[in-house]
Amino acid sequence: MAKYVYSSSPHVKSPATTRRIMIDVCIALLPACIAGCVLMGVANPAYSKLGWLSFMQLLICCVSSVAAEFVYLLCCKKSFMTILKEFDFTSLVTGLLIGMNLYPTTKWYVGILASVFAIVVVKMLFGGTGKNIVNPAIAGRIFAFIAFGAAFGGSMAFVNPANGNAVQIVSPVSGGKVTAGATPLQTLFNADYTSTLTNLDLFLGTGVAGCIGEVCKLALIAGGIYLVVRGVLNFRWPLVYIAATGIVAVLIVWIESCFNTSGQFVPALMGTKFVPALKAFLPSILSGGLILGAIFMATDYVTTPNTKLGNYIYFALLGILTAVLRKAVKGEAVSFAILLMNLLVPLFDMYIRRKPFGYVKPVKEKKVKKSEQKEGV
Amino acid sequence: MRTFKGGFHVPDNKALTDSVSIELMPNVADYYVSLSQHIGKPAEPVVNAGDEVVEGQLIAKASSFVSANIHSPVCGEVIEIVKRKNAQGATVDYIHIKANGKQDKFTLPPLSDPTPEQIVQRVADAGIVGMGGAGFPTAVKLQPKDPVDSLIINAAECEPYLNCDNRLMIERTEEFIEGVRLIAKAINVSNIYIGIEANKMEAYNKLIALDGVIADTKEALANKKENDIVVVLLKKKYPQGAEKTLIKACVNREVPVGGLPSAVGCIVDNVGTAYAVYDAVVNGKTLYKRLMTVTGRGITTPKNLEVSIGTPLNAIVEFCNGLTDDTAKLISGGPMMGFSLADLDVCTTKTDSGLLALTDKEASTVLPTPCINCGRCAAVCPMKLMPMYIDFYTTVGDTDNAVKYGAANCFECGTCAYVCPAKRPIVQSVRLTKMRMKEKK
Repeated sequence: MAKYVYSSSPHVKSPATTRRIMIDVCIALLPACIAGCVLMGVANPAYSKLGWLSFMQLLICCVSSVAAEFVYLLCCKKSFMTILKEFDFTSLVTGLLIGMNLYPTTKWYVGILASVFAIVVVKMLFGGTGKNIVNPAIAGRIFAFIAFGAAFGGSMAFVNPANGNAVQIVSPVSGGKVTAGATPLQTLFNADYTSTLTNLDLFLGTGVAGCIGEVCKLALIAGGIYLVVRGVLNFRWPLVYIAATGIVAVLIVWIESCFNTSGQFVPALMGTKFVPALKAFLPSILSGGLILGAIFMATDYVTTPNTKLGNYIYFALLGILTAVLRKAVKGEAVSFAILLMNLLVPLFDMYIRRKPFGYVKPVKEKKVKKSEQKEGV
Repeated sequence: MRTFKGGFHVPDNKALTDSVSIELMPNVADYYVSLSQHIGKPAEPVVNAGDEVVEGQLIAKASSFVSANIHSPVCGEVIEIVKRKNAQGATVDYIHIKANGKQDKFTLPPLSDPTPEQIVQRVADAGIVGMGGAGFPTAVKLQPKDPVDSLIINAAECEPYLNCDNRLMIERTEEFIEGVRLIAKAINVSNIYIGIEANKMEAYNKLIALDGVIADTKEALANKKENDIVVVLLKKKYPQGAEKTLIKACVNREVPVGGLPSAVGCIVDNVGTAYAVYDAVVNGKTLYKRLMTVTGRGITTPKNLEVSIGTPLNAIVEFCNGLTDDTAKLISGGPMMGFSLADLDVCTTKTDSGLLALTDKEASTVLPTPCINCGRCAAVCPMKLMPMYIDFYTTVGDTDNAVKYGAANCFECGTCAYVCPAKRPIVQSVRLTKMRMKEKK
């Protein structure tokens, strides 16, 4: 008689697999990658190499991330065919995200080292897929930021390596100009916020100097919508995060503008200063890496809490932390906020639990016991 | 349309048999009738090797309050009492009966206008148990300790592939409704609901066309008379037919953790049970036949059969023209909660609602990968548990924590394992933890 598969129920399963989810994430990241390369390419008519550099940066990070995973597993004495069979595309997602989090002018070895660090130290040493404590891509970016400084570049990266001059980025939409690194974020918390870039510039990514993946918000949001439609992403969490950041930024600007020149808080100013402060809302959610972080990095399954309530609190705190960090340290706010909150996830999961169906509060028993004790006394 | 929170729509594959009429399975030569086809103590045999028995005759009697009578499926000779494997893989006692070709039938005297006590007594005599799968003795259920005010008939049949309840409601509508009324009379309630999933519109339309059966719409409910049966149309979602989710959907009450439906004043019975009650009271027939859907793409001719209890599955598959070559998995029951069979050398019991032969494409044989914490299992859990932690703590051997996250409240519907992208064997983990809990005690 033929042998039949013998296993525990259920005997049918949904077609969803980890690999499919990760491929979906890669597809969702593509528009932002393409938009990043194209926008960098047309950013400065005098220096058109930026687009090509962006593409190479992404490629280097993807290849080195995947290679790092394969080499690590080969060192663990897994056969090449098994690794290939079990390959779940998580390292490709990490590689893409690291590339998108670097500047086009970041040195090539920074991308490689950041990818290897993210895959080997942050992911594989902690047990591989699903076991990492913090998001590998975030950790990779912060590693590059802390370890390399100038080679990573930060906001000062837009320098033409040929002659050492700052690259000026020009918006073809509004004609606004940004010189090396003067991203609107740094001027955002000035009460008299002005920028040569319009909100539309920020949204489309025209004339924005930044990381490859974070410039075009339109492409990022399109990718996010794709993930929501595919059932991979819950639309609530990025919204909560982005909204919380914007609201807290407005509050900070508002309260700050109520101080007079001698540093005293003037309550009378609160009424008149509120409406001008609202102007900070759109620039604060459209600048920097917030949208990239909110849609693709903070929502990583592995490093978010497991309950609805937990997630609402988590993403709201993430937004508050991002806005405060932006005010306090000016730069790398989104990545440090995500890293810090990632570390708190076990606490969320320990203290916030779901009530099971038909949960009965165990209050009645206690009351009965107390009254019994009294009677006994 | 009413429903509950959580759950997931599993492709139902009911089209294979939903328009196939019920067919009577012809007699075979040998029957093996299990002595433990129900929850509770095994029945005690009242026949000895060499005795001649008649179809419908008592061959084993209930050995305690929670137990059930068992009757002979055929006229023949008792050969011996043997130990055999059942569908769950446990070894239990079976009575082996060899058919002798006679056509005699034993029936109890039919009852006209019975009292509640008479109905309960008849249900016990006829050996009726819950035919949805659990096999709880119905006579025990009809004598609840808590006061009850509602009877809910489980016609959801949310398991994919199965159609036996659906066909029964279509082909034997009036008998089924009569059975429902008898159960309601036995427990003396006037709120009667039939919960039916929206993929059984033919049965639904047949039901509400009857007198005294109304739909769950505002106009119909406004003109509701006492003792009218309300047919509640439920959303197509698994596990809609689990006792607790059905109660939540029909009357919006939550059975407390660890409690029985009677704790919220409800009694839930299956379609097949209601029909068996009708047959026992009106026709005096004891329970030795049931409806069974034999389906899956591994079965050459899928059928809805009326089979005698104790029929070997081999014979049933043969009657459906055998298995196809690409059959990968055999299942007793539905694909979500049924038991995987190593071979067909097993006999039917009162609780077998289906026999499935799935091909490689239908049955999932993908190996598990690490959990990525996506939370889909928790989102679909009808009991609002956190299956990812149950699986994790079971895997690392921490029974206490697995129980803390609700392993004991799980009724193993398998929705979590169905949606899991990492294909984690979550239900298996739950069973393992439950077993370890028992060992600890």
